[in-house]
Amino acid sequence: MASVDVALATISFKRKIAYKTTWIFSVLFGGWSLLAGLAVWNNLIGDGELGGYDWQSMKAYLIIGFLTSTLAWAGSDWEMANRILDGHVAVDLTKPVDFQRARAAEYIGGMTAAVPAAILGTTAAVLIFQPAPPASALAAALTALSVLFIFPLAFCINYLSVLACFVTQRYLGVQWARDCFLAFFSGMMVPLALMPVWLQGVAWGLPFVHFTTTPASIYLGRVDTAGALGLIAVEAAWAVGLWIGARLIWNQLVKKVTVHGG
Amino acid sequence: MPILEARSLTKTFRRPDKASGFKGAVKHLAQRKYKNYTAVDGIDLSIDAGESVAYVGPNGAGKSTTVKLLTGILKPTEGTVRVMGRDPHTERIANAHDIGVLFGQRTQLWWDLPVEESLKLLKHMYGVSDADYKARIAKFDELLDLGEFMPALARTLSLGQRMRADLACALIHAPKMVYLDEPTIGLDISVKDRLRAFLREMVNDGTTLLLTSHDLADIEEVCERIIVIDKGAVAYDGPITELKAHYITTKAVNLYLEDAVDVPALAEKFPEFTWAAGEAPSEVTVTYESARFSTAEVLGSLTAQLAPRDLSLSEPSIEDVIRRLYAGELTR
Repeated sequence: MASVDVALATISFKRKIAYKTTWIFSVLFGGWSLLAGLAVWNNLIGDGELGGYDWQSMKAYLIIGFLTSTLAWAGSDWEMANRILDGHVAVDLTKPVDFQRARAAEYIGGMTAAVPAAILGTTAAVLIFQPAPPASALAAALTALSVLFIFPLAFCINYLSVLACFVTQRYLGVQWARDCFLAFFSGMMVPLALMPVWLQGVAWGLPFVHFTTTPASIYLGRVDTAGALGLIAVEAAWAVGLWIGARLIWNQLVKKVTVHGG
Repeated sequence: MPILEARSLTKTFRRPDKASGFKGAVKHLAQRKYKNYTAVDGIDLSIDAGESVAYVGPNGAGKSTTVKLLTGILKPTEGTVRVMGRDPHTERIANAHDIGVLFGQRTQLWWDLPVEESLKLLKHMYGVSDADYKARIAKFDELLDLGEFMPALARTLSLGQRMRADLACALIHAPKMVYLDEPTIGLDISVKDRLRAFLREMVNDGTTLLLTSHDLADIEEVCERIIVIDKGAVAYDGPITELKAHYITTKAVNLYLEDAVDVPALAEKFPEFTWAAGEAPSEVTVTYESARFSTAEVLGSLTAQLAPRDLSLSEPSIEDVIRRLYAGELTR
């Protein structure tokens, strides 16, 4: 990683923590959705099980969902979109850096600002709710690896949706659509195991599944080591494929950049 | 050898063709119509290394679009651009290393961080060495008083401070070619003076400059050559001194007489001059062709015959010339 990537990521991190109150609020109150999820699923599962999840494993699933969603939604996609929409992309294009790589460094730098909130919240949730432990030490390590791949994957998905602004000239609808897909097909909203089989098939064919279902499945031992490695390989392949796809799309869009006014 | 060369540079945008009102909005939703708008229309440009060129024109003339084409931000619809031998659009990153750009209306500072952080990030981007960075910051501080607001968050800066910081950002890597798009917009007179002095020094050091501005004092004080564009095409291209010599053919004397002036009577008495009433009844302005009469000659004749209480000389400004060029009254 070049020093300029680190510098861009650091700047982005500093910008995120520049607004102390917002950042502290996100650290302290980011866990409300987790508490709400725990309450609902406790009521639904009780002493039984749903889709192969008993209460202990569902707690682990929800805490992993909290961790991954905290990271997945921590980037600065709105900022990227606004720069395209208000024409500040013109300034970005006068800099001697690869546009996509620079945005990736900024985005991932911004995501790392959410790491303290994610770690604090996850640790507190584990201590308070005592979910099922990882299937094995190796499963725990592979879970961590699959969570790490969320960083490039989240960037690619968000960057692609931001590039849509060149065509749509608005970002709100694109963002809503992407967030709906992410929340639903990742399993953050409802575990995939509770969906109809055909819908599960669709979900496994999309990249969103790797945001929650993949790390949770590895952690809980719902896939063996070979399966876990396979899932991580697919997750990495999605990141690489989307990166290449985004570059191809950018190469076409940059020819059509329009910036009106001074 | 030109540092910048553009041939038949053309940029056409597609704009929605939408009728006003609710009906227009609904109709556009169902059946979208667009119109092509040519912002830059077949411009030829050639700028040599070390030149300082003013690029002026009325609002919407295509100045900023040209700058965006020359900097590689936009791809030309037709024509070619070469900056230091490169196509600035397809070789954007290599080109960006050698150019500095300032858009007066778009900051390149990171809004919620100190100015120093933005400059340090640009140092990394351009690969500026520590020694060069220190030397340039010291120079910017000397000429632009940068030090006073280096630790301040960009969003807390005044417009003048922001513009000085943006200028430092555009020049931190000592670019060979600099494009400044409205660098003095909204600034007070003292900050403008400081910026102009800085730009003069930069040009004297050999940097090539293309400056767009609506403030003609920027142009007169900083640039040697002027290109006037209107409706996307070049209306004039030449030295500023030549523009003045060619088009400023008259001079004027304002006379302050003891009594009220009878302008028609004076016009009859001195038919070789043009007479116009001044603001007060006892004031009158005499315009004469500078090629036919010397100022001494005119003053001698007028003071001898009219015995004015006071007088002042005025010369049409470059602003008047450009106004007439915009209006299509003058062509080269």
